[in-house]
Amino acid sequence: MALQSSILHLARKNLLQESCKQFLLQAHGLHKSTASGSLEIAAHSQADLKEENLVSPAVEGLKETTVKTLQEMPGPSTFSNLVEFFYRDGFSRIHEIQTEHSQKYGKIFKSRFGPQLVVSIADRDLVAHVLRSEGATPQRGNMESWKEYRDMRGRSTGLISAEGDEWLKMRSVLRQLIMRPKDVSAFSPDVNDVVVDLVKRVKTLRSQQDDGQTVLNINDLFFNYAMEGVATILYETRLGCLENEIPKMSQEYIAALHLMFSSFKTTMYAGAIPKWLRPMIPKPWEEFCSSWDGLFKFSQIHVDKKLSDIKKKMNKGEEVKGGLLTHMLVTREMNLEEIYANMTEMLLAGVDTTSFTLSWSTYLLARHPTIQQEIFEEVDRVLGGRAPTGEDVAYLPLIRGLVKETLRLFPVLPGNGRVTQDDLIVGGYFIPKGTQLALCHYSTSMDEENFLRPGEFRPDRWIRKDASDRVDNFGSIPFGYGIRSCIGRRIAELEMHLALTQLLQKFHIEVSSQTTDVHAKTHGLLCPGAPINLRFVDRK
Amino acid sequence: MSACILRVFLQRAAVMRKAAQQTFSQTRMFPQCVTEINTHSRGINTFTSSLRAEEKVAIHFLNRDGKRISVKASIGDSLLDVVVNHDLDIDGFGACEGTLACSTCHLIFEEAVYKKLGPVSDEEMDMLDLAYGLTDTSRLGCQVCLRKELDGMILRVPDVISDARVDSEKESSTAPPKV
Repeated sequence: MALQSSILHLARKNLLQESCKQFLLQAHGLHKSTASGSLEIAAHSQADLKEENLVSPAVEGLKETTVKTLQEMPGPSTFSNLVEFFYRDGFSRIHEIQTEHSQKYGKIFKSRFGPQLVVSIADRDLVAHVLRSEGATPQRGNMESWKEYRDMRGRSTGLISAEGDEWLKMRSVLRQLIMRPKDVSAFSPDVNDVVVDLVKRVKTLRSQQDDGQTVLNINDLFFNYAMEGVATILYETRLGCLENEIPKMSQEYIAALHLMFSSFKTTMYAGAIPKWLRPMIPKPWEEFCSSWDGLFKFSQIHVDKKLSDIKKKMNKGEEVKGGLLTHMLVTREMNLEEIYANMTEMLLAGVDTTSFTLSWSTYLLARHPTIQQEIFEEVDRVLGGRAPTGEDVAYLPLIRGLVKETLRLFPVLPGNGRVTQDDLIVGGYFIPKGTQLALCHYSTSMDEENFLRPGEFRPDRWIRKDASDRVDNFGSIPFGYGIRSCIGRRIAELEMHLALTQLLQKFHIEVSSQTTDVHAKTHGLLCPGAPINLRFVDRK
Repeated sequence: MSACILRVFLQRAAVMRKAAQQTFSQTRMFPQCVTEINTHSRGINTFTSSLRAEEKVAIHFLNRDGKRISVKASIGDSLLDVVVNHDLDIDGFGACEGTLACSTCHLIFEEAVYKKLGPVSDEEMDMLDLAYGLTDTSRLGCQVCLRKELDGMILRVPDVISDARVDSEKESSTAPPKV
């Protein structure tokens, strides 16, 4: 998700106390954890396992007798950070700065953004260490501005903005509905209907170009596809985003979404600007509120419509059948405001994340015709010309590999946040409860130690030889891990797997001569830095 | 501590869900989605298991502290159901309620038993990749359902050495299991 993902969004927290005492090394806190390592030593006893982990070189300070304090942790100075971000527009290069800083200061370092201290972790095993230590209700970052908007308007928080027990209660309801792969696979027919429209739209768009084959700025198309796909599942309704004429209500929503994303920087400041400054700099906060108004309004219209349909049916004594929203409205495990809020936040989170990844996937396929051919052959061998279902994906390992490899090279969330809920010892440092951590997924997924020749696009690196073959893990966790990982993961995967498979069945994808190297930039999320224009040539 | 709260919460959630589904059947409304969830019942959903004939198998867990916990559990239940329904004291087990978002229900099987378990889905393998102390006979408890042939099996609960929390309670639970 765009806003909350940024470690910089959190600038209003109290100054963190760094004056922590030297702690004696406690064995339980400092073991290196790596699945690849433990696989090799799986035959050994647990005692051996501990010992081997203890002498691992990957965790600094392991052999020292004392744990270091945050004060001793290296990192850029506050001043150089200010210059980097505000003067040199570091915001669009957050992912690169992550890597630069980890090379300069080590795989755990601290940075200051005004009063906000952030401890960045760019080591796979330390990331694993932190995520495995999570409690019942992990916190990602400071969501005060989101919460403030909701309080002001009398709205509920949703999965992104809620914390603690309130969050767990909603998560517990929603994950039972949209997280199990088999449950999500049941949405295949609905998603495939959207894919049919996507293919149709490709044909319409390319016919509008002189060569009859180019689709300009492919992300616009995938944005509409992702929105249509998510809405189909969440609202059980079609929005018409892939039609030639997009209905007005959907257009308004798209505008609100674009405002939310395009004003990312300003809305980020909206959270960072202290309240007393708002009368002097009102615009960021106003835009922040008005885009939320638009997003909530849209969800409410759809939810209310579904609710009145259900009521009508019940009054007539008809059987009520439906999908996700119907289930939520009938069971009322969450109240209506909570449903509005979660529908809003899930739709928001499920659009550009999916569209950027699809854009990169097709771009990478176009840039690597040999790999594209290999994947096409797999699809053709398994399906012939038949449209895939969710169950088919298990037999399309290269399609799965394509999505994984795309997200490794372009993790849509280049970094994720955690606010420590306990005192932790990570990488030999004592990190007090309440510290903002930034888990640097972009750095770890581009790290040579985790992935051989990390710059290369190789979907086959994710292929397993057999069930016991382990593929590298915490180095690339684009959806996160654990109880607070992406709740839309399986839906997003389904949307991407089905769309990519069908696009490959229908088209040979090539780079347009109007597109050269496209680099990533961070704009809340990691997105294409320039329009990606692709040619969709019919397959015979 | 936090794990305790979580477990209480999970149990309460299960009860609430069950109640909601009963409401459904009373009002003769069976949204497609609910039916599907029952069909794919895994994890915490106790609704379907209560309808099954109560055939039981014995399972023995070797917990992290080396203690053996033996239970009789219903055929068809997942190992996560077993841990939740019997309120077994395994810290942090099944945090995501069997939705394949974590690997905290990681269990280690005897080789002969492991071979009887059947194929592993891609999604489970991806999550196993993220499990601590993985072995060649590891599975996620939420994905393994009890069958008659599994009667008497012994499962090892892997250690959680990687826990970074500074918490003296943790120390006792990190003693190597005696297998």
